[in-house]
Amino acid sequence: MPTGSADRIYETDVLVIGGGGGGLRAAIGAHKAGARVLVLSKGIVGKSGLTQTAVTGFQVAFGYADSRDNPEIHYGDSIRGGYGLADPELARIFCDEAIEAVEDIEGFGARFDRDANGHFIQRKLDSSQTYPRSIKKGDSLGTPIMQALRREMNRREIPRMHEILVTKLLKDGKRITGAIALDFQKGEMIEIRAGAIVMATGGAGELFPVHSNTPDSTGDGYSLALNAGAELVDIEFLLMLGHAVLHPATVRGVLFTFQYLLTKGAKPLFNSEGEAFLSKYDPEGSDNPARHIYARAIYGEVRAGRGSPHGGAFFDPGSVSRETLMEALPSQTKYLESFGVDITKPIEVGAAAHYVCGGIKINPQSQSTIPGLYAVGECSGGPHGAGRIGGNSLTEILVFGKRAGTEAAKFANRQNMVTPNSEEVSLEVNKVKSLLNRRHTGARPNIIKTRLQKLMNDYVGVVRNEEGLRNTIEEFERMINEDLPNMAIAEENPIGNYDWVEALEVTSMVQLAKAMAGAALMRTESRGAHFREDYPALDDKNWLKNIHIYQKRNDPSLIFDARARKKAPEYAMAQKGSS
Amino acid sequence: MERMKITLFRFDPKFDESSKLQSYAIKTDGPVSVLQAIRHVYHNVDGTLSFRNSDCRRGVCGICSMMINGRRQLTCMCLAKDGMTIEPPPNKTIVKDLVFETD
Repeated sequence: MPTGSADRIYETDVLVIGGGGGGLRAAIGAHKAGARVLVLSKGIVGKSGLTQTAVTGFQVAFGYADSRDNPEIHYGDSIRGGYGLADPELARIFCDEAIEAVEDIEGFGARFDRDANGHFIQRKLDSSQTYPRSIKKGDSLGTPIMQALRREMNRREIPRMHEILVTKLLKDGKRITGAIALDFQKGEMIEIRAGAIVMATGGAGELFPVHSNTPDSTGDGYSLALNAGAELVDIEFLLMLGHAVLHPATVRGVLFTFQYLLTKGAKPLFNSEGEAFLSKYDPEGSDNPARHIYARAIYGEVRAGRGSPHGGAFFDPGSVSRETLMEALPSQTKYLESFGVDITKPIEVGAAAHYVCGGIKINPQSQSTIPGLYAVGECSGGPHGAGRIGGNSLTEILVFGKRAGTEAAKFANRQNMVTPNSEEVSLEVNKVKSLLNRRHTGARPNIIKTRLQKLMNDYVGVVRNEEGLRNTIEEFERMINEDLPNMAIAEENPIGNYDWVEALEVTSMVQLAKAMAGAALMRTESRGAHFREDYPALDDKNWLKNIHIYQKRNDPSLIFDARARKKAPEYAMAQKGSS
Repeated sequence: MERMKITLFRFDPKFDESSKLQSYAIKTDGPVSVLQAIRHVYHNVDGTLSFRNSDCRRGVCGICSMMINGRRQLTCMCLAKDGMTIEPPPNKTIVKDLVFETD
């Protein structure tokens, strides 16, 4: 093998990067449209990603629970939940196509809970939903969705490769031509020639020390897209939830959706003095406010010295009967009990990073700002704006997954394959391999990661301010210039070398962290999931704008560009109603 | 603070003639799952350990399943205890250490 060429080469029409729900839905869509498809995952395709862990529910406006509900009301809720910054066209698409998405997934074999009339049971999560709208399967909705998608993938015999980390997207001029990746179990570099690519790489919870994501949610997709010249949008809106279990450490970060118990007589969240406090922090005075209010309220109580021992608040599952608990949250309850949590006593809950509301900017075809590059799910941006209401993520991955796959197949069919530039390939192969070959004396990747997580938690988390953000960005720049080039990998053996993977991941993470902090610094107001203590008010006059981030060719500096968004009528009405 | 000794299966088919069991003494802030204990070894004691890191950590995906003291269990759902031995399931082709080929 000549230096710099890949160990193996593959060719496909549509390359899907990511093996969770969005990736699988896109792969099925592309295959149905007649394309050759290849799915890659950092984990095991079909068993990685966050879809499988979904508990809350899945918003589809069937109107069974309340006949006044319909896609128009769902759309209004989504626009208000995005504080006026969601792309209305994209929000409209996933609300309008949600019913069809459920029919599709049931067609692949998924079944959801129905009542005696055969209608879906619909629940209300919190005050962001006008009517009960979330359909469910027990309290673990992700399982039937992933099972159905895996079954359809198998039925179509769609090729897949496990434990592959994509390190670069390849381009010829403006067109996508493929990708370079590390097969880290074999220790080999691979080149994939592709007519179109769908990014379905999920979120970036691992930027924070406590999160609800999987440990490999390192946000690689955002960096890959940025480095390829695509735009990111709205990534300062990092949704922190307040219903993650904080103690014991064995279950830290895992969600306990006690909100469903509040309508069944459970006592609202309380502080160390036994007082309910959420209504104090919610502009609408609710004891079960929209999700992002929870984290901020808990932070306020902790700072006032009324927090729980591990920096959270208390919820008492014992305030409802065991039957109620097992009826509403059976698997979550069993999970906590398996680690010795006494479910009859108050448990500590608090903030955990949950969801990046923005991401790779997409259009209605799910295409990024680069021809041939598509994105779906958490790594994409536009549909949610400044906040994502609970249960909209599954709706989004199914609707836009289908669109992304179908459109990517059409794009690939229209074009002739372009062979990637061999110089570009060899540069990247050598760069990745050189991480292994050099003897460095710096810190191991996980030490740098821990440093990054602490900074994100302290300055780019629930509450932000100018000084903290400025210092943090400076520190990220220092990490890029000093820590990353000196990173030491535990051994040179390329087989199953997880330090090698983590070194590549951390490099992407610092870039994303810097972008997120930069956008948070630029936005001198508080809106949705973004809260600035030095600018605590919403400022529609100056900030009804989306921040776009991109890089110029061959220049790693980030460009932040705030572009005005027209006030959506649904959002304007909400503003009038609350003043 | 919890102190414990756990024993892990180590094998690199490229360099080793046979597998071995290696013991690690670890200190953690409190009780941890077996998966967290493995990750703790990798991060703090021996960075050459290979294991799968793309788990769901809540008993859904099943990829962290290993033999714990000879019984197949999900390492994310099992509390780590002093003296435990963790090995890949039998009859699997080992990629390296705790990573084996999947179907």
